[in-house]
Amino acid sequence: MKLRRKILLSGILLISLGAYFLFFFSWKQEEVDFSTEIKPLLNKHCITCHGGVKKNGKFSVLFRHEAMDTTESGKPAIIPGDADHSELIHRITSNDPEERMPSEGEPLSKEEIQLLKDWIDQGAKWGEHWAYKKPEKLSPPDVETLAASTSADQETSWIKNDIDKFILEKLNEESLQPSAEADRATLIRRVSFDLIGLPPSPEDVKAFESDNSPEAYEKVVDKLLASPHYGERWASMWMDLARYADTRGYEKDSYRNIWKYRDWLINAFNHDMPFDQFTIEQLAGDLLPNPSPELYVATAFHRNTMNNDEGGTDNEEFRVAEVIDRVNTTWEVWQGTTFSCIQCHSHPYDPFTHDEYYKFFAFFNNTRDEDTFTESPNYKEFSSEDEEKVDDIKNWITHHGSAKENKEKAEEIARFIHITEPKVHPHNFDSLTNGTHADTKFLVVYPGGFCRLKDFNLTGKTRLLISFGWALPNGTIEIRKESTEGELIAKIPLSDNTKGVLAYDLKKEEGEHNLYFVFKNKHAEPTKGVCSINWMVFTEPLAGSGEAGFEKIQQTYLDLLNTEGNPTPIMFENKPDFHRNTYVFSRGNWLVRDKQVEPDVPATLGGLPADAPKNRLGLAHWIVSEENPLTARVTVNRFWEQLFGKGLVETLEDFGSQGETPSHPELLDWLAWQFMHENDWSMKALLKQMVMSATYRQSSEVSLALLETDPANRLLARGPRFRLNAEQIRDQVLAVSGLLSDKMYGESVMPLQPNGVWQVVYSGESWNTSQGEDQYRRAVYTYWRRTSPYPSMVSFDAPSREFCTTRRVSTNTPLQALVTLNDPVYFEAAQQLASNMLTTSDNLDEQLKAGYKRVLFREISDNKLEELKILYNEVKQYYRDNPEAIQEVLSDPASFFENTDEKEDENGGMEQKIDREEQKVRQKEKIPCDQDDCYQLAALTVAANTLLNLDEFITKE
Amino acid sequence: MDILNEHYCQMNRRHFLSKLSLGVGSAALGSLLGCTANSASLPENDPLNGILNSTHFLPKAKRVIYLFQSGGPSQMDLFDYKPMLKKMQGQDLPESVRNGQRLTGMTAGQSSFPLASSIFDFKQRGQSGAWVSDLMPHVAEIADELCFVKSMHTEAINHDPAITFFQTGSQQPGRPSMGSWLSYGLGSDNKNLPNFIVLLSRGAQRPQPIYSRLWGNGFLPSLHQGVQFRSGKDPVLYLNNPDGITSTSRRKVLDHLAHLNQIRMDDFGDPEIQSRISQYEMAYRMQTSVPDAMDLSEEPDEVFDLYGPDSRKPGTYAANCLLARRLAERDVKFIQLYHLGWDQHSDLPRDISLQSRDTDQASAALIKDLKRRGLLEDTLVVWGGEFGRTNYSQGTLTEDNYGRDHHPRCFTIWMAGGGIKSGITYGETDEFSYNIVKDPVHVHDFQATMLYLLGIDHEKFTFKHQGRRYRLTDVSGHVVKDIIA
Repeated sequence: MKLRRKILLSGILLISLGAYFLFFFSWKQEEVDFSTEIKPLLNKHCITCHGGVKKNGKFSVLFRHEAMDTTESGKPAIIPGDADHSELIHRITSNDPEERMPSEGEPLSKEEIQLLKDWIDQGAKWGEHWAYKKPEKLSPPDVETLAASTSADQETSWIKNDIDKFILEKLNEESLQPSAEADRATLIRRVSFDLIGLPPSPEDVKAFESDNSPEAYEKVVDKLLASPHYGERWASMWMDLARYADTRGYEKDSYRNIWKYRDWLINAFNHDMPFDQFTIEQLAGDLLPNPSPELYVATAFHRNTMNNDEGGTDNEEFRVAEVIDRVNTTWEVWQGTTFSCIQCHSHPYDPFTHDEYYKFFAFFNNTRDEDTFTESPNYKEFSSEDEEKVDDIKNWITHHGSAKENKEKAEEIARFIHITEPKVHPHNFDSLTNGTHADTKFLVVYPGGFCRLKDFNLTGKTRLLISFGWALPNGTIEIRKESTEGELIAKIPLSDNTKGVLAYDLKKEEGEHNLYFVFKNKHAEPTKGVCSINWMVFTEPLAGSGEAGFEKIQQTYLDLLNTEGNPTPIMFENKPDFHRNTYVFSRGNWLVRDKQVEPDVPATLGGLPADAPKNRLGLAHWIVSEENPLTARVTVNRFWEQLFGKGLVETLEDFGSQGETPSHPELLDWLAWQFMHENDWSMKALLKQMVMSATYRQSSEVSLALLETDPANRLLARGPRFRLNAEQIRDQVLAVSGLLSDKMYGESVMPLQPNGVWQVVYSGESWNTSQGEDQYRRAVYTYWRRTSPYPSMVSFDAPSREFCTTRRVSTNTPLQALVTLNDPVYFEAAQQLASNMLTTSDNLDEQLKAGYKRVLFREISDNKLEELKILYNEVKQYYRDNPEAIQEVLSDPASFFENTDEKEDENGGMEQKIDREEQKVRQKEKIPCDQDDCYQLAALTVAANTLLNLDEFITKE
Repeated sequence: MDILNEHYCQMNRRHFLSKLSLGVGSAALGSLLGCTANSASLPENDPLNGILNSTHFLPKAKRVIYLFQSGGPSQMDLFDYKPMLKKMQGQDLPESVRNGQRLTGMTAGQSSFPLASSIFDFKQRGQSGAWVSDLMPHVAEIADELCFVKSMHTEAINHDPAITFFQTGSQQPGRPSMGSWLSYGLGSDNKNLPNFIVLLSRGAQRPQPIYSRLWGNGFLPSLHQGVQFRSGKDPVLYLNNPDGITSTSRRKVLDHLAHLNQIRMDDFGDPEIQSRISQYEMAYRMQTSVPDAMDLSEEPDEVFDLYGPDSRKPGTYAANCLLARRLAERDVKFIQLYHLGWDQHSDLPRDISLQSRDTDQASAALIKDLKRRGLLEDTLVVWGGEFGRTNYSQGTLTEDNYGRDHHPRCFTIWMAGGGIKSGITYGETDEFSYNIVKDPVHVHDFQATMLYLLGIDHEKFTFKHQGRRYRLTDVSGHVVKDIIA
């Protein structure tokens, strides 16, 4: 039995492999191509044991130099030009089960062996994976040639721009015809969702439908690209990549004030910031000369990493985790490469080494953030009055002291006021004796206790700023050099008033010293802390000491340091004194350091340009350099995926040799080249190019035959049709019912959410439903809590944003149906839509037609209208029979949440305690109806609820 | 099934596992080829069919009830009896025992580590003679049904990474939870209920928080995420019809909605529309089946007596245990309970007594109840937390009070049913309950064993994401064969 099965199995394998190679050889050229023919074989059969992870027998096929190198046996496995004497060929053809490779799994087929032989005989040339060669300029397929290869003329007249030539060429190869253009209502709805994330207004649809000019569609596109909502839509996409959230992610998951970054994104997209600049500013805005506040906020991109406030955690462990996340995210977003593979070992398939991970890590390893609860460094935005005070100080600096007329110095001080770095954090102290890091956050030392700041450079630093939590009266802190008994360089008196940021003078010192902080208080109990310290900064004094007005300016300075402002976490590079060395972590374990490394990029992708600084700025320039083979391809592919549902490379996140090969490689390269060279990295130009194509404008109707030939629509013989994303579904329902607020920017908002969703145990934070129009803002403004994201969006596959998400997997689940049928947000929209339908006409047919047209912009078909009418009449009869249900169906659906949990805490359950008064934020007017039309309105509400659940409504067609 | 067909099924499964296939295409193909589907009642292309057309081994368990004790229950006060600690009460933990173990920031700064013996009495229980302290009298009664693993160990020392590690196989968030893996692999046996259900309860003291990522689907399709059942009026979010919409009018809506969608389907031909129609039907069925599963009113008094008085109060651990049995009866694949509050850094004697009182009777009752209904044999029940606690006191040690910090190197969990040997104790710790001296069981070993019991080879059950094949057990894990019946 077993044997029979084996024979059968191998038979089938042979047959299928045979068929594969028949196909293979039919187009194989004489010279064996490494990337397309050999690399896949090596990946399939060899690399698991002879590659980046394992190098059995000291043989690896990851790099050419490794493959040709001497193996354990003392000779190389591959001898270029001599397959017969190459051990590799001997081993894959051996009959001895001890010798035969692969040692586990099926032997290679004859055809595979022949390929390898030919390849070695031809010199075992190595080739580069397609994605690691930079895209070349190429011309789109020639229309004449295309016309010659097609049977009908209309196909070439179908072409609207160069994109279509590539698509048509491939369709011709497969003997498929493209589809006709979608009807105008469908097309404007599609392009509107794609460009601004919202449905069009009925007026826009009407204008488009009645515009007979040849530019009618282009006008629509241009208007959408100029809309302020464009930025909101694309920021939403980018926020998945940036892992943007309003909380820190771990454990109690407390608030993070980083919404200015979201607003920066919206602005950047709206102003069509070129993608290279967009990249540089987010990765290294802080390192550009004289950075503006916006440049700092841009760097919050990489401050969206998770921060662990849990008591007892090691800040260094989670700082390292954040740096790792920055490395992995950078690779995933810009290079479409899973770099995290080489955190523990060299890449299993692609030519990246373990060391190269840490060289790249070194670029990100020198920012000042250290997983502290303050999330510093932050850029504090001040009110305009406070900003004037900053100007006063700048003004003072340029007119006083040795820095007189020194604008640069003034800017530096102003930056210091906004950022106040480099901070020394409680965990930076060592030798802590008789003291503790309270809640692992605050430095609390008991009377007589001390701690040390090791090898600290005091040159030029004669002012010390300390941020205190509290202090007991009558205590002191002595700062001494080299020992607890050493020379005193400052004595700080403490009192009840010691709180907030305070400034002290330090004795002038040069060079590095061990500083001992000795805490004293004769009056305090030995178990009581002398004081609690959040952080401190060693700095220089303000210029102009002793001059008239100095005291006032110094006070202003201190006041500003104590002003909270609106702080946004930012990247801030360490000064040399705080420089961290980077080491390879052995097998990825941060506690086991191997050799030290300097910042660099992987050799496979060409090194950093010679003149580039070895920091994040140099790195950012390398990423957007025209020499980088991946950035433009990965980016155009991402935009393509947003419009067409699938990327030209389906695996957006993996352009490596294990990723999917592009469906239209020439089109991908052409778009990438255009993006860099013709469109100067303009994202709007790129999108316009795509949506103007006939390919994009096709109807998404599909015949059974086409569905069979191309179920996933890889060849694009039809337009894209897929479910709207989570944000679009919410925005759409608010838009078509007239509830959507067009307010932009600002703090994140809390729309209606069921009670008890936030299992807040002790963070003290709660979901307080926003007031007024803030309940109806676009989804991009919804408060995003990582451990408990907005539930209706989660149902529609929105990620938690703990990490970079390149691709949302679109699913179709019963929980989604429950959201659109029952979520009060959606039901309220149904009520509103019904109310609008009722006012359009006295005639039921007209009301239903108007409703359908309002949500889908086209006329309803007779059979659908008939269906809706039957429903309406059945429901109306129901409400006639049950008049008490009418007021219920017309009541404010938010009240539904208010009586959800009756006895929550008594029963020890997890339900959140609700402050009922606070929750009753909605004083909505009842929808007015007199007795007569109340049941009509009730029945229309049910009809509207049905319309808002149509498949065609939640789908981009 | 004939051999050829089985081969195709296997090929198809392998194809699925080896290619990046996020959709349902291959699963659907599997069904078309006539492979044994786990859930014959589901339509062929339903994503709720598991992707494993056949399991790797003959499964011993069909479902899991995981009684997660969040916070880290103290092994030395519950199951891991250590007379040596009594002898050395108050003495410092010998450095030779600690041997460089990383400590959390909670006790890293402590100047001494005084050993603290449990103040609770221990006895050997049942035929098997397992040690159980007086804190757990009901569990003590069923000791012969249980398999105690005293040699669990983990890598994380803080709650969030440690729970995430247990539930997803990685300390870093972003991977799918165990329940999601099982839902993805094995599919659903009940088309009217979610496949992976989560129930939460908490102890009297202020507990550590818990987060929805623990039942998240990670990179798997979101339909495999755990669905939390809540104790209020709306047990699943948005389950109830809006006010004024009754079941009758909802039925009418769905009928006509289906017709309207069918019209679109006929015009447009996109098979996703068909799938949407069936998801709406499932939503409708859930509106009945979920409240039905949650409704304890028909349970006789003797059942409430068995689970204890708390079981009448919705949202308690006891009520959740009873619900777990009802969900197991309804063939839900993975039933995940979390009981919060085991994090006793201080006042351990008082707080662990309260926690034990909340959980002891109902945990034991669940085992008894499953057994008498014949469900225990194919239901794997797991009881345990994310790590253990230190043998030395956190804070001041007094005669009747102490606290314990987190301890990753050893802790005890117990399992029952579903192909696990009963009445055994596996693994051993040293005299200090600090290090393992025999048969260590790593978190990945536990996960590998759980998958094995469900018929899955943990090394073969992978999902390709970002160019890498991920599995629940990451890159390690061995099935603990010695505890399998």
